[in-house]
Amino acid sequence: MKKVSIITVIVLGIVIWGCSDVKREPSRVYMPDMAYSRAYETYASTANLDSLGIQYTRQPVPGTIKRGELFPFAYAQDKAGDSTNYVLSKQVPNPIDSMQAVHMKEAERLYLVNCGICHGTKLDGNGPLYNAGNGPYAAAPKNLVTLDMPDGQMFYSITYGKGQMGPYGPQLSTTQRWMIINYIRAKQAEAKGGGATSTTAKAGDSTATIKAPADSTVKK
Amino acid sequence: MIDLRLGLKRIATPFFITILLVGNVAKAQDGQALFTQNCASCHAINKTLTGPALAGVESRWTSKELLHTWIKNWNKAVATGDPYAKQMAASTTNVMNTFENLGDAEIDAILAYIAKAPAAPAPGTATAVDPSGATYDESDNSILYGVLTLILAVIALVLLQVNSNLRKLTDDKEGVPSHEPIPFYRNKSYITLLTLILFVIGGYFTVKGAIGLGRNKDYQPEQPIYYSHKVHAGTNQISCLYCHGGAVEGKHANIPSVNTCMNCHMTINEYAGEKIYREDGKEVDGTAEIQKLYEYSGWDPVKREYGNNGKPVEWIKIHNLPDHVYFNHSQHTVAGKLACQTCHGNIQEMGEVKQFAELSMGWCVNCHRESKVDFVDSSGTSGNKFYSIYERYHNEIKSKKRDSVTVSDIGGIECQKCHY
Repeated sequence: MKKVSIITVIVLGIVIWGCSDVKREPSRVYMPDMAYSRAYETYASTANLDSLGIQYTRQPVPGTIKRGELFPFAYAQDKAGDSTNYVLSKQVPNPIDSMQAVHMKEAERLYLVNCGICHGTKLDGNGPLYNAGNGPYAAAPKNLVTLDMPDGQMFYSITYGKGQMGPYGPQLSTTQRWMIINYIRAKQAEAKGGGATSTTAKAGDSTATIKAPADSTVKK
Repeated sequence: MIDLRLGLKRIATPFFITILLVGNVAKAQDGQALFTQNCASCHAINKTLTGPALAGVESRWTSKELLHTWIKNWNKAVATGDPYAKQMAASTTNVMNTFENLGDAEIDAILAYIAKAPAAPAPGTATAVDPSGATYDESDNSILYGVLTLILAVIALVLLQVNSNLRKLTDDKEGVPSHEPIPFYRNKSYITLLTLILFVIGGYFTVKGAIGLGRNKDYQPEQPIYYSHKVHAGTNQISCLYCHGGAVEGKHANIPSVNTCMNCHMTINEYAGEKIYREDGKEVDGTAEIQKLYEYSGWDPVKREYGNNGKPVEWIKIHNLPDHVYFNHSQHTVAGKLACQTCHGNIQEMGEVKQFAELSMGWCVNCHRESKVDFVDSSGTSGNKFYSIYERYHNEIKSKKRDSVTVSDIGGIECQKCHY
């Protein structure tokens, strides 16, 4: 009797110690019909829809433009080894002449989120990922302060990628990409000494309508 | 004192090095600077990027002059009819830039830098893992308390037994007729006590289990790829919004598609940082995890091109709200100006992500009661202009009746705000 109880205590102890407190499985839910959506939610698998002939994840029809968005870029991506469109893109003018301070601030935010990690917060081509060759990123990002490239070609490079840089067309809208180019131009002018204020000052002269940055007046 | 020493060191070290390596060092540094400026965007020394790896480049070419010609303008090198130049031109679809501005001396400096650069460490030379190095802080004392309670209970039982035996002895001595001793499992007061205790414990666990239904605090599923937020958002300082840009634009923060990963991992194909561990203490091979990403994206790291065999990574969503709750990220991050960490915890320190907040209704409502909205202040200059429609609160602020407005004041705990 005594032996049995001692063994039981030891076994129980081992079981308790052996239990991991890492929670790998989700809990049970109360009223599953209210917890799980019957509609297709964002991250639900849509695999069975394809077999029903419903194409849920298709791209919009070519030429579709979002409301308030600038016109899309005229040139498609070159095939590998070809550089026709890359060269042609030099002639594409920047549709945004000037930006108000609030848009410049938004452009700076976009730059810091998407570009600064490699090209550096100071645009010097030395972001935390490259870190003068000591970071994990092996290729040297371009120094954007001294970069001499027409706006259109810059847009091509941001949209489709260049060299080791990936394409940012999927991550940034057309307007956002042009805004970032304007931000880089403003910083270049600043580095040359002054001149930056003139691009941001006049608000009424703007020939293009820029989508207001994510506004805090959003109400559900 | 320390500052002074450091300062001295900073001045002295380069000074001595310069003295020691007068002629050489200037040239080598030049080479490195020139390499970084002109070549490093596409070439690395030990790694194939947009262009081929450059280690041992001089030995691959038949003559130094031809290599110089190639670097300045590769078209001219091909025009000479050299078979290796032709082969190089045909080997890739990436077109090399021309560098007519580089002089022979500068190219020599670059080549000297390439020749001197340390070779890549052979695979498998990494230092052995010391399993004892991984220590885990046991701050959970519940087991200790449990054992203590058990010991105390046993002592109490023994004492009770001793007490009854002693009483029996004294009764016998005094001649009081004693009734037959009842074993404790048939003693009514023991049984009642035990039933009560079991009832309380059972009730506690039942209620706790019922409340915990559908709650997933600390949920930490194993993901298809070991993706460490600690390495990406912590060590490498990548903004949360780089991958989860939807958090300021809409309802969902978005799980990035594989092409977002490949923006960097086209170049970063190995992990050489601090050792990383799974929750159970197993070490993670970061390079192997990046290989998994290549399998999902269909990227061939040797040929450096995408195949047609890409497939999405089926990440397991951790933060789930029931279908009858509406939650919008942009409302909280843009209008509410909340940081990601408020609800997701110190995500930049998590190897494997786990659910930090309870995501229960009490948790939501509590925050809505306590959080102050960015109300337009009494001068009317700063703050969110949207809230100017709440006229009564404005008047109360002006007359100093209230000093702030919380989310619940502007309807933040109305049922229909989140349930409809």
